[in-house]
Amino acid sequence: MTGHNKNAHPGELRIVLDNLGRINPESIEDYIAAGGYRAFRKALETEPADIIDLFIESGLRGRGGAGFPTGLKKRFTGEACLSCENRYLVCNADEGEPGTFKDRVIMENDPHKYLEGMMIAARSIRATRGFVYIRGEYFLAIERTRKAIDDMRSMGFLGNDILGSGLSFDIEIRKGAGSYLCGEELTLLESLEGKRGYPRIKPPYPAEKGLWGYPTLVNNVETFACFPSIVLNGAEWYRSMGTDKSSGTKIFTISGSVQRPGYYEAEMGITLRRLIFELAGGMKKGKKFLAAILGGAAGTFVDESMLDCPMGYDELRERGATLGSGAVIVMDTGMQVWEMLNSMLRFFEHESCGKCVPCRAGSRQLLLKMQEIRNGNGGRDMLIDSLNAQAALMEKTSLCPLGQSHILPVKSATAYFRHLL
Amino acid sequence: MGKEVKIKIDGKTIRAEEGMNLLEVARSNGIMIPGLCYHKKVSPTGACRLCICKIEGINGLVASCTVRVSGEMNVTAFDQELEDSRRILLDYLLSEHNEEYDGSYHDEFRELKVRYGLESEASRKFPSIWRELGYPADNSSPVLTCDASKCIKCFRCIKACEEVQGKNVLSFTSRGITSYIVAGFDNWKESECDGCGECIQLCPTGAIVEKPHRERIDLAGHNRKVITTCPYCGVGCQLELLVSDGRIVRSSGVEGVPPNDGRLCVKGRFGYDFVNSPDRLTTPLIKRNGRFEKASWDEALSLIAEKFNGILAQYGNGALAGYSSAKCTNEDNYLFQKFVRLVFGNNNVDYCTRLCHASTVVAMLRSIGDGAGSNSIEDYALADCILITGNNMIETHPVTATFVKQGRKRGGKVIVIDPKWTPMVRYADIWLQPALGTDVALLNGIMHVIIREGLTDRQFIESRVEGGMEAFGILRELTDKYTPEYTQQITNVPSGSIEKAATMFAKAKKSLVATGMGMSQQVTGTNNVFSLINMLLITGHLGKEGSGINPPRGQNNVQGASDVGTSPLTYPGYIPVGNDENRRRVSKIWGVPYGSLSWKPGLTTVEIMQAAFSGKIKGMYIMGENPMLTDPNLNHTEEALKKLDFLVVQDIFHTETTPFADVILPAASFAGKNGTFVNSDRRVLRVRKALDPPGEARQDWQIIVDIANRMGKNIGDYSCESEIFDEIAAVTPMMAGITHARLEETGIQWPCPSKDHPGTPTLFLERFNTPSGKAKLNPVEHIEQKERADDQYPFILNSGRILYQYHSATMSRRNKPLNDFANEAYVLMHPDDAAKQDMSGGMKVKLISRQGELETLLRISGEVAPGELFMPFHYSESPVNKLTRDELDPHSRIAPFKLSACRVEKAV
Repeated sequence: MTGHNKNAHPGELRIVLDNLGRINPESIEDYIAAGGYRAFRKALETEPADIIDLFIESGLRGRGGAGFPTGLKKRFTGEACLSCENRYLVCNADEGEPGTFKDRVIMENDPHKYLEGMMIAARSIRATRGFVYIRGEYFLAIERTRKAIDDMRSMGFLGNDILGSGLSFDIEIRKGAGSYLCGEELTLLESLEGKRGYPRIKPPYPAEKGLWGYPTLVNNVETFACFPSIVLNGAEWYRSMGTDKSSGTKIFTISGSVQRPGYYEAEMGITLRRLIFELAGGMKKGKKFLAAILGGAAGTFVDESMLDCPMGYDELRERGATLGSGAVIVMDTGMQVWEMLNSMLRFFEHESCGKCVPCRAGSRQLLLKMQEIRNGNGGRDMLIDSLNAQAALMEKTSLCPLGQSHILPVKSATAYFRHLL
Repeated sequence: MGKEVKIKIDGKTIRAEEGMNLLEVARSNGIMIPGLCYHKKVSPTGACRLCICKIEGINGLVASCTVRVSGEMNVTAFDQELEDSRRILLDYLLSEHNEEYDGSYHDEFRELKVRYGLESEASRKFPSIWRELGYPADNSSPVLTCDASKCIKCFRCIKACEEVQGKNVLSFTSRGITSYIVAGFDNWKESECDGCGECIQLCPTGAIVEKPHRERIDLAGHNRKVITTCPYCGVGCQLELLVSDGRIVRSSGVEGVPPNDGRLCVKGRFGYDFVNSPDRLTTPLIKRNGRFEKASWDEALSLIAEKFNGILAQYGNGALAGYSSAKCTNEDNYLFQKFVRLVFGNNNVDYCTRLCHASTVVAMLRSIGDGAGSNSIEDYALADCILITGNNMIETHPVTATFVKQGRKRGGKVIVIDPKWTPMVRYADIWLQPALGTDVALLNGIMHVIIREGLTDRQFIESRVEGGMEAFGILRELTDKYTPEYTQQITNVPSGSIEKAATMFAKAKKSLVATGMGMSQQVTGTNNVFSLINMLLITGHLGKEGSGINPPRGQNNVQGASDVGTSPLTYPGYIPVGNDENRRRVSKIWGVPYGSLSWKPGLTTVEIMQAAFSGKIKGMYIMGENPMLTDPNLNHTEEALKKLDFLVVQDIFHTETTPFADVILPAASFAGKNGTFVNSDRRVLRVRKALDPPGEARQDWQIIVDIANRMGKNIGDYSCESEIFDEIAAVTPMMAGITHARLEETGIQWPCPSKDHPGTPTLFLERFNTPSGKAKLNPVEHIEQKERADDQYPFILNSGRILYQYHSATMSRRNKPLNDFANEAYVLMHPDDAAKQDMSGGMKVKLISRQGELETLLRISGEVAPGELFMPFHYSESPVNKLTRDELDPHSRIAPFKLSACRVEKAV
């Protein structure tokens, strides 16, 4: 039940990744033998409202990056438009944040875990139909999810009147086509509807008017994968892990100049130092720690002064950093902060959809400013200030989270590494 | 209507309706928040971000165009931070923008640039990068240019095309800053763009601009703008003509005014060049020794007076007749019919309505008491089910079709009944394709299902139909044998589709019918419409907002010409000629002895021609009609015209008819006139003079008055068109409350019986316009067509219109943009037939009917059913009416343009 997986690092605590290496990911029988779908059966016997309460009490927050309380999101969706004939459930599996591969690990190694989570969610909000929107390049994840859904159907976990419960629900897979922005929940819904991936205006939020205008619950793969164990073990158990405001465990994906890059599930609140120097085996031989980028491109630079900060949503936010998707990109002193920042800004420019002015034109202008800084024709400080001011304006005026993201690396790189830009 | 709320913007308290768009509310209260991507006709986009504001209780800045107002909202629209942000956003936009400006278009972006002090390079923060972005320009369209370097990516054109016009041709290609607008697959000419120009109308910069006359236009220079009514179809779109240096150089839609709210079609926007065509008639012409010679008005009028008076003296009152015109104003038409009744002394006045909707009008008059559309054009957007029958609306009434598309988007169902594929089929839930000439059987079959399934509206039948359930019983008995299977045998429509359509139509809360020429131009035209009305009556879909029958009128003023009495059967206001009391009343207004007004119904259009052929009609006065292309059986028409002793044709161009005239008189076009038209939903609309007629051309109404005076008869003294209209109002009860002055801002739908009456959007809400106030069922049987395909003439030929040309094409074909889209006659044949006949597309073929023959190009197309053919009737080099028949519908005297047996041979 709790993580004593022999494949795991002793410093890990595996809840979501508990089955990894223990079961055949293509065997539903294996999954069931390991206790799978017990949580779903339990959920079927529980009142939807009670399931939602359970999640609210558990303190689980969205693992996609924004950290919104999952239970509340469910309640909003469950209570929206009671007369609507449709209510949708969408799993955001369009994992595109640089340095992030946690969802891939779940989908490739234990697809039933998050699918069972979707079933529980379907029960809790009385969803009529579910979609998994998977990043198109995740071939194995798509294949395994497809197999898993087929097996679920043949076991009677999907379809009409599932297990005699009165719940009728089915899940379809939709593949993304390579747009970072389609991982943003509203853009994802546009794409799911068959439209071009432009962000939607909010409000309305998906909970109220999502897919085709119906109440829709959108959660990340990892979030869904947390559900079964919470249903089985209760809110108090879940809250006993992690920190006050960030309960449970989190999958961190560590890359860059470390000995053992990879995925590690650990309690929320673990320090960055333990993640890098214990779980990931420390810096590569002969390399010295310079910086870590937390949360991917839409993330923040931190320096060694942050190594002992607990990795939790609010703990990091209070110190100007983000947890985001749980990505940790480690830089050594031989690397260039300017190069890294520039490459992140290039990524944003490439991924900007072009709909709103600040993101479309601003993304390009930031790159021009970066060149000016590199050319360093005097007034570097002024140029860096101007870079920050532009990114701040973009954050204030952009239509969707993409244009609001540039500020994160720009501001944090300036805060910690102004002298290296 | 939402409830009223009070909100605060920059400290000012504003009352607004809950749910209204915040940007709209602010602007309509004089708080001019800037913005480029918002347009009230399309959904908010939130792309330019210029309309950002602060709302108490909401974090960060929000785009006001995306906010709906609610109670107690406290908004900051202007402060230093917002204005600074806006300036930077504009600065960003400028960096990717080509600022060249040629003065030929309205540029909202330039105005903001000035307002925010960003004109000089020095005032800007960001380097200009538009050149290196390499935005392309697409000049391939015949009517517009698209220059991506001037585009601000506001999405207005995309939404204009998709949301307003329902066409979905435009989109962005590429992503981010390199993205740009494309039509279709990045080539405007090869795309499905049909040139309506809604994108031009909504473009806030000069990215998409009209091509024609661009070099002549300097908006800052000497121009005039004149708002008037479109001269093409019967939608009655409100146009704004830009006049420069004595010619029309641009036509735009007038925003915010019904019926079109700024929308136009390709003809309305690009079909005005005929007005300034060098081909216009500029002096009277008299035929001497077989050749036309220029003459003075004095000579021409004297000759006409002498000849007409001579015929009157020699043959009496019955030997003269007049064709009036659906292209002319109500004022012109009113005086024309007054002229015929007073000067010719008979009722031999008719016009093209006899050729298009006479059967519709007869059936509607007999069943429900009014021959005009019962509902407003806007109702197409409200109806739950729209049945479009024999009506190629997207091509013939493109702007009406936009309302249908909006209704469909709202969830309304669309049923198309047409023997030929039309573009509306793409939007249809069901398409029924009956064999030509089997409409009554199909409708009886549909009614059979409605009755069988118990989907009739008994309460409606009992309360609003004469004879109630008893009358219904007769219809039920008649339709009894039209089982879906039996109907399928006659019509070739699958029985399952009949059942589906019947259920869909009857079950919908509001069902609206758009009927057209496909129904009316048949020997059974009146019966066809009787059937339609029967169907509406038994389902209760009449006399309600969103439910009724609309026959969109083919020409700009078909409706008005009938309304003001251009009819051999009725006086102004549809009062029968034989109504003594009315003649007595009108004689007083006209100041003539009652006895001088003939009580005898006159001859109809085709009958006049037949009488000319037989020698009974000796002289004719034709104003703005072209029977030598539009009448059926043209060889016969030609013989008839040749037999006339004297023919006067009054027009703006030489036509196929003018060679047969003795005198040709030059008249003003719509752009040279003041007056009114009435559109398809009975809306009386103003026509305003944009420029003087060319040369010595005169107003039609003035010419009519002048001829009367020369003939020694006074039909009235008028100093202007509004005086004529006042007389129309006095004579025509349903227009009694209308004056030109009342029409200044927007049209009024008749009936409008008094000066304080707002007009009537929907007819029959409480009663039908029959003596009993109730509607009449007119059960009709399917009648086998006399005209059938046989060994000698194995095909049945259908005829009709296309989007880019119009009627006899005298106007439309004098516009290069329209010809660039379509300028070639053709006949459509099904691929199976082509294979059987060993014929291929593009080959020249000869069509031969019992009436005549012609040559044209063959196009192979699945749009027609096997055994059927289709030809557009616009092209004088292949005049389809050489093939059509003049067998007439017994009720309405309409000719069967839609059904002629013929054969096809390879031309040598």
